[in-house]
Amino acid sequence: MSATVLSASGGEPTDAVRADPASKRDLWIVFWIFPIFFSLFGVIFVLLARVIPPPRPDVTTDQKVQWFAAHATTIQIGFAAVCVVFGGAAIANGYVAYQMKRMSSGSTFAYAYMGSMAVGTLPGLLLVALCFLAATFRPREPRITALLYDLGMLSFNGSLGCFATGYLAFAIAILYDKNQIFPKWLAYVSIWQIVTEVIATQMWVSSAGPYSWNGSIAFWLAVIVFGFWLNCQGIFLKFATDRQPAGTRPVD
Amino acid sequence: MQILAEAEELPKTTNIKTQLVALWTSAVSALILLIAFIAFPGFWPPMSPRLTADEVASFYRDHTTWIRFSMVTFNLCGIMLLPFFCVVVVQMKRMASQSQAFAYCYLSAVVSGATLFALSDVFFAAAAFRPGRDADLVLLLNDLGWIVFIAPVGMILAQNLMLALAVYLDKGPNPVFPQWVGHLSLLTLFAMLPSACAAVMTSGPLAWDGALSFWLRNGAFATFTVVMFFVVRGAIHRQAVVEGVAR
Repeated sequence: MSATVLSASGGEPTDAVRADPASKRDLWIVFWIFPIFFSLFGVIFVLLARVIPPPRPDVTTDQKVQWFAAHATTIQIGFAAVCVVFGGAAIANGYVAYQMKRMSSGSTFAYAYMGSMAVGTLPGLLLVALCFLAATFRPREPRITALLYDLGMLSFNGSLGCFATGYLAFAIAILYDKNQIFPKWLAYVSIWQIVTEVIATQMWVSSAGPYSWNGSIAFWLAVIVFGFWLNCQGIFLKFATDRQPAGTRPVD
Repeated sequence: MQILAEAEELPKTTNIKTQLVALWTSAVSALILLIAFIAFPGFWPPMSPRLTADEVASFYRDHTTWIRFSMVTFNLCGIMLLPFFCVVVVQMKRMASQSQAFAYCYLSAVVSGATLFALSDVFFAAAAFRPGRDADLVLLLNDLGWIVFIAPVGMILAQNLMLALAVYLDKGPNPVFPQWVGHLSLLTLFAMLPSACAAVMTSGPLAWDGALSFWLRNGAFATFTVVMFFVVRGAIHRQAVVEGVAR
């Protein structure tokens, strides 16, 4: 628009286009959705939906049916809530991609991050909710309920490539960046995230033990690395927001 | 909109023209989707979640052709609404007094939300593919189709929240959208929110065939999309005038 004036901001080199007035209110609003969404995510998936810690893969059909019966109410409350709030994932990932666009390394991997995370939301977050909601919706033949149990857990813990691609995009963008939007060591943590996704491939062939979907290596090691990485990403997203000069936007 | 003759060959005119093409592609698709919506026997009235497996299976056997027609049409044309929402992104990026963060978050939500619409018709159509399948399995596909179609509203809520905030904070002298678009966006958000309960309720207004989860939710989304068509067309026109492409 006519109000957009082309001038160097004097701050970071990529923030070439100035916008008026110099308010950062919009940045802070989207930033705060990141911690709010992931806190809700934690509460819902751990306390209500009971998929973290994961239910066991090595149980009989009847035990799976009993597990759903025992937790039906909290699963329904938790996953109905997920249907309302899971858009927060898109906002959180969209804002990370936005900050990545401010890097000197350009928009390529920002778009790759946004795209792979947007794809990953369906198999990696929502499909387990849909399967478990269908399982608790009405009594079914036990073998059908057991199918929904496996389908939900495997898609939730076994959707590897979408996130591995996102972590790779995040790591490469940081390593090439000269604007120091995120610290270099966070790129190496992201690479460890990819390693955990590769190790987690074993849950597709292992139905018990450390490499199964509730195993100490395929699940718990990955969750610890993920938790550390996510907290760091959130903290440095705040610092990046702090440092972005008011009234600037990334170049197209 | 009348593109000025002298602007016809300018590079910046192509950006206006592609936005108009995207707008009309989605408008035509929306009309086709409306026909498919009317043609789906399961919507008139919306199928009750309390139907038994045998009732659902015989419903798919009796209406196979119309279910296939409407769900294949949903499949083919549903995602053709995406260009329209991308025009909204382009217009949000023009908002002078902000940093474009809302626009990228909106785009991210649009893409994730579209995948759900692409998924629900697959369940309905798969149930109609072999209507002779065991009744419990047809019931399962029907449940999944309905739950995916109605309940996961979170991405649309995120989209409309981003749009509303962007409109409210677009305080420049030439706002891209009028302020009431923010109110409409929030109103649509609150009208669609309760339908998340459709994944749990089997009767009443919040069940997937209920007044709130089916009629209010789908009516609100349709109304919002139609109104936004005219709003976005107006915004493209104002952009064309500002850039000297149209008058």
